[in-house]
Amino acid sequence: MARIEVDQVVKRYASDTIVDREASRTRPALNSVSMAVADGETVSVVGASGCGKSTLLKVVAGLEYPDAGRVLYNGTDVTYVRPQERGVGMVFQDYALYPSMKGQGNLAYYFQVHDRTEEEAEQRVRETADRMGVGFEHLLGRVPTTLSGGEQQRVAIARCIVRDPQLFLMDEPISNLDAKLREQTRIEIRKLLRKFAITTLYVTHDQQEAVFMGDRIAVMRDGDIQQLGSFDELYYTPANLFVATFIGSPPMAVLPVVVAGGEVVVGDLRWRLPDDVRPAVPDGPVRLGVRPEGWIVDAGDGAVLRVRHRERIPTERASFLYGSVGGAAVAVATAIDFPDRSEVRVTPEWSRAYFFAADTEDPIHLPGVLELF
Amino acid sequence: MNAITVDNLVKEFDRKRAVDRVSFEIQEGELLVLVGPSGCGKTTTLRLLGGLEPVSAGEIRFGERVVNDIRPKDRNVAMVFQDYAIFPHLTVFENIAYGLRSRRTPRQVVRDRVPEAAKTFRIEHLLARKPRQLSGGERQRVALSRAMVRDASLYLYDEPLSNLDAQLRYQAREDILTLHREKGRPTIYVTHDQSEAMALGDRIAVMNAGRIQQVGSGADLYDRPVNVFVAYFIGTPSINLFELQVEVDGDRVLATGSGLRLELHPSMAGEARRYAGRKIKLGVRPEHLHVPRMAPFEVTDDTTIHGIVNLVEPTSAGSTVYLALSGDGAGSEPQDFVATFKVRLPARYLDQEIPLGVDMSKVHLFDAETGVSLLHGGETAAVPR
Repeated sequence: MARIEVDQVVKRYASDTIVDREASRTRPALNSVSMAVADGETVSVVGASGCGKSTLLKVVAGLEYPDAGRVLYNGTDVTYVRPQERGVGMVFQDYALYPSMKGQGNLAYYFQVHDRTEEEAEQRVRETADRMGVGFEHLLGRVPTTLSGGEQQRVAIARCIVRDPQLFLMDEPISNLDAKLREQTRIEIRKLLRKFAITTLYVTHDQQEAVFMGDRIAVMRDGDIQQLGSFDELYYTPANLFVATFIGSPPMAVLPVVVAGGEVVVGDLRWRLPDDVRPAVPDGPVRLGVRPEGWIVDAGDGAVLRVRHRERIPTERASFLYGSVGGAAVAVATAIDFPDRSEVRVTPEWSRAYFFAADTEDPIHLPGVLELF
Repeated sequence: MNAITVDNLVKEFDRKRAVDRVSFEIQEGELLVLVGPSGCGKTTTLRLLGGLEPVSAGEIRFGERVVNDIRPKDRNVAMVFQDYAIFPHLTVFENIAYGLRSRRTPRQVVRDRVPEAAKTFRIEHLLARKPRQLSGGERQRVALSRAMVRDASLYLYDEPLSNLDAQLRYQAREDILTLHREKGRPTIYVTHDQSEAMALGDRIAVMNAGRIQQVGSGADLYDRPVNVFVAYFIGTPSINLFELQVEVDGDRVLATGSGLRLELHPSMAGEARRYAGRKIKLGVRPEHLHVPRMAPFEVTDDTTIHGIVNLVEPTSAGSTVYLALSGDGAGSEPQDFVATFKVRLPARYLDQEIPLGVDMSKVHLFDAETGVSLLHGGETAAVPR
């Protein structure tokens, strides 16, 4: 097992076109990225396409060498060590199983090319199959084309585990599966990672998957890690407005407002801030962030929300109202049996409201982790 | 009269039935969501309606007119695909205008309608651009604008949101509903994602193995599933299914096995009594498992199950807890199950055994062989793994 450190890594890609070259000079794929992953920990790396998350994975794997900075495994500099000498197991979106081999052959292949004895290979495969849990054994006798996507992915994971890797790197391993299969497979992967306690970097574009898979989550944008933390840290104490809107669905509403003399001014409406929040928010323009569950509906001083669209979700026992307040898109969570109405009044629940600087988008005041007890 | 009638539709590929006696109707102005796992036949059904595949048997009617043998372009159907099917060499304007031009629409109409549609979807400033200069969300709005300018008799969507990031989907979904309301024409929307189906449809058809399993509102499917497939497919995390034996003990009816002993609610005992000595599948939604002292009902020994906590997933509302049944002395690997809580389960409960109260008035009962609901009827279903 390994503790991983990424230390001020910069990676630029050379490009063919002048336009792209200009862009890459101003914005590298990785812009001095640093992070540490503890032994046995799973860190999800999440962001939109082009944010640098796959590049980060490749640099950690040794598939790409950085232009600057270092990668350390257990404190040893491996920045320029070849990938096959790093002891990493990699799982990709397309499984990359050897199509002509049965599950057994896929697992044993590593031992064959490394001139190990057949006995060792067989023993390791058997051990791994046992540890993979119920129902894995029968996958060993089948070729990949006869397996479902989820089953192929389990074989791909076992093929990594059989080699006893120091580190697991997964890049969108389940995004080819349909929604229901994805749900089953992610539970399975998470349980395996927990069981084997292998240090893992898990790359995905899906924030819900990132939250589920990671002990901690790294949110990336434009070659930078915006924040690395637990779900609670990202959700209740986001590092900036980007993280705040990226985590949580439906997304947080962001209202451009002006604070004056302890009042929040939205259009011709004024909200008096409560005593415990008022000192924290200076006068001037700010961004007010309110999550769908952070609105009080039908309070006396509410802003008018014209309901453009409503989603009633029986599986969540909730219905969401969509509209806008002060020109900003707003989603409001209500009870499933909330009546059909074209208009409601909404007020932020101030203990759950987020305030960000209008210019830097850095936090000014945050709700902190919700206390339940 | 129905706007669209699909009557015993069959499609075979190499004697394999992809679509197996599918029937449904759509009214004028109605949106039907077709949802199911990959390979269930939903996209094939859509392609049959669009005329992209010949029908093997059965009938498709637009109004009273049978359209089985009518070519796609004469059916007057508008389709929006997952990959948007945008021409890379044409400008946004020409892409939107394409369907109109191919139908020899007067130039003035094109000039009026294209910017109008583009405005609805907030891309009027992009009309001169080429598709490669657009983001995924913008491309999708080009595809929607192209559907908007048409006066089609039927609108078909095939997974139109699959390529969009989560945060863009909310707006895109609203855009699709805007288009639907504006046109007021029958619409079919295909997806593999049950949560998307829930968000979009007042009327949802669940498909599996070429057959329609159930058609109903989201609440019908979630609260009154006709078979074990629908129960399992709708809702995330999925319903917990326990295969148990029915035991009758005087007035009481019990379901036992896997270390469980649960007393069935009086409202269901009558139906279950017929299964005395036989197996049923007991379905429990994750939301109906409660921390005993927070349960909205009195928890007794006969409504409690015990599990060892394997994983805790934090959610904005509380937590999703993944457990393994304990108390099963059989030696086989214990069955996994899931509970969702409105509170955050502290990390110290990981690997600990906890008791959970089962809201027995909300459980589902299925015939273990056929998968049919004992409570809500329905036809034989393939039992999921």
